Amino acid sequence: MRDTTIAMRRQAFLSILVTLAVVTAAGQQRTAPAADAQFPAYRAPHRPDGHPDLSGIWQALVTANWDLQDHEAQSGDHPEVMGAYGAGPAGQSIVEGGEIPYRPEALAKKRDNFAKRMQVDVSDDKKWHALGDPELKCYLPGVPRATYMPFPFQIVQGSNSTILIAYEFASATRIVRMDWKQESPADAWMGWSRGRWEGETLVVDVSGQREETWFDRAGDYHTDKLHVVERYTPASPYHLMYEATIEDPNVFTRPWKIRFPLYRRMEANLQLLEFKCVPFTEELLYGAFRKPTAR
Amino acid sequence: MRDRVIRVMALAVVSMAIAFAVPVAGQAPKKYSPPRTPWGDPDLQGVWNDATSTPLQRPGTVGGKEVLTDEEAAEFQAALAHDLTRDRRDGGPEVDVNRAYNDHWMDARRLKITADRRTSLIVDPADGRIPPLVPLSPERQQARAARAAAAARFQAGLPNDHLDMSLPVRCVIRTDSPPYLPTIYNNDFQIVQSPGFVTIAPEMIHSARIIPVDGRPHLNKGLKQWLGDSRGRWDGTTLVVETTNFRSDDGVIFQNANPATFKITERFTRVAADALNYEFTVEDPTTWTKAWTALIPWNKIDPAEQMYEYACHEDNFDIIHFLTGARKRERSGERR
Amino acid sequence: MGTKRPGFLAGLCVLLALAMPASAHHAFNAEFDPNKPVRFHAKVTKMLWVNPHVWIYVDVKKPDDSVEEWMIEAGTPNTLMRRGFTKDSLPPGTEVVVDGYQSKDGSNRANGRDLTLPNGQTLFLGSTGTGAPYDVKKK
Repeated sequence: MRDTTIAMRRQAFLSILVTLAVVTAAGQQRTAPAADAQFPAYRAPHRPDGHPDLSGIWQALVTANWDLQDHEAQSGDHPEVMGAYGAGPAGQSIVEGGEIPYRPEALAKKRDNFAKRMQVDVSDDKKWHALGDPELKCYLPGVPRATYMPFPFQIVQGSNSTILIAYEFASATRIVRMDWKQESPADAWMGWSRGRWEGETLVVDVSGQREETWFDRAGDYHTDKLHVVERYTPASPYHLMYEATIEDPNVFTRPWKIRFPLYRRMEANLQLLEFKCVPFTEELLYGAFRKPTAR
Repeated sequence: MRDRVIRVMALAVVSMAIAFAVPVAGQAPKKYSPPRTPWGDPDLQGVWNDATSTPLQRPGTVGGKEVLTDEEAAEFQAALAHDLTRDRRDGGPEVDVNRAYNDHWMDARRLKITADRRTSLIVDPADGRIPPLVPLSPERQQARAARAAAAARFQAGLPNDHLDMSLPVRCVIRTDSPPYLPTIYNNDFQIVQSPGFVTIAPEMIHSARIIPVDGRPHLNKGLKQWLGDSRGRWDGTTLVVETTNFRSDDGVIFQNANPATFKITERFTRVAADALNYEFTVEDPTTWTKAWTALIPWNKIDPAEQMYEYACHEDNFDIIHFLTGARKRERSGERR
Repeated sequence: MGTKRPGFLAGLCVLLALAMPASAHHAFNAEFDPNKPVRFHAKVTKMLWVNPHVWIYVDVKKPDDSVEEWMIEAGTPNTLMRRGFTKDSLPPGTEVVVDGYQSKDGSNRANGRDLTLPNGQTLFLGSTGTGAPYDVKKK
């Protein structure tokens, strides 16, 4: 009986010690976020305004632009022309829990999107967006897809409560208005971004996105009820940890999250170049309307 | 004598404008010292608007006058507002079709001439006009003729294909390509700065020019871009930007100057809390007989306003309308 | 209104053309047909609030009581919003009179030269709070 009590007391004592250690560690890390298992605790340099500096050129290395969920390598839509050029790589899901929680009745449209991802028909204004992956047509990709396109982007953290994010793909641009109350007066392809700081994390609320964007080439989609909240947290001098919570009650049974690191591009004198892809799509979109005898 | 009177009056106008804290640009005194960013660069940040009705070139009808009087300016603006907003049915249907592109479409701020009341945006040469062209090589003349033919087909409603349309109509570039010129709408620019960079994001079409000010060299000559490659440096409180590496497609450079010999330098100077001078100098010895410079005032917009997204290609239905209209009329044998 | 215009106002269109890139926008007569003016009473069904142009969808009742859908081209939403005209300014069901020119390809599209509201206000000629100093007298 006594041994048990001693054992219990020792256990209790150890528990207290562990708790104290954890609390102390947490206290020491109060100026840094809870460390990701892969990253040692890190606190980014701060700007004079007291917030971390996220400026720089960043890029994702995940294959989410092909498919957010687990995917095997596969040939593209026209292997007889494209061969290995057109094939997509394998990749692991960046969705927390692995799967996107679709409403069962909403899955059919995803499959339909995927089947028709390379079909376009712009002959009827009202059906302009009915077919085809918007990326194929060089349309602005929306958020969060712009973050994991295989192109770099640059965060320009202004000193006037404005953060500009410039994406190489299609010269897409976002203005993140810090601590801004107003709603968007109109829908936009890149949405309406309002940011705030939570400790070391930049949190961006994105509303008012055009419903026509897709999340990936697999046909994952949303409606005009889409609401996205992003979190950018410095994880090392060379990494930002990116997280986005996505909700759309029309399509999904609950909000869901994606998460992956962003890598700082380290080449000396690197700059965003142009990927103004409109001219690459014009033949695809407009070629059928050419004068028959010309050229 | 008359010129001197005008100059004195112009200065009086400018002084009055300062006294009444009207946005001042052009002849502003050097007294204003812009605030600095936390890292010490002059702070140009904010959303600016460059709409104006002052023409790029001085019209022949002002008798060489460089600056309007107060009275002349007020009358010009009133007449302009009237012309653009009155109901006009004269001119026949051809003219009337285009009048649907009317005042409701346009930035209301473009009814105003610049605060310094100049009669042209061009300040050098002194006559306020683009210098004469150098005789063009046969190749360039041919290229010009081909472009003119394509434009004529487009204007007639009979484009062969999308390539008969201009880069702005195709939504490739618009007013985001330097030099920045005022246009009928969406004349907004947002400037965001961070250490080592000044970024200018025009509203139309949303491309951000991220300008390093850290002294790094330009891209190598082989890398060409639609908006060129910009490098900036501070000259006192003025941001001086030089842009090179333009692509050689038709229409990339203003007035189809020659990208191989074209040079552009822009200067951004904040002259008041809510006013910025934008000045550009362009030269191309194979296009113009001399360099020329224009000065365009930018005014800070109402803080309650914002710059909005201008997506262009995404819903550019008109391209199809132009083409299907042409095809239909060709089939029915119409030539107008 | 002044009866005498200063000399520099001559050739106004030329001045304005010189101030802007020549091809910053397209001329309407490349797309719409001067020989096909249209004018009809219609009911707004929706507004496509997009760049580069807003499109106003209207239902037009024909003499035989059938209904035709037309699409009316308007300005860029960014500018319209700044002039106080928003995507909620013409709710579905609003009765309007449309004055314009039909698309060259013969489809049910027109450029919106005038849009007259039931109370007589004309939308596109600046008489509804757009800052124009002159009233428009409907012909």
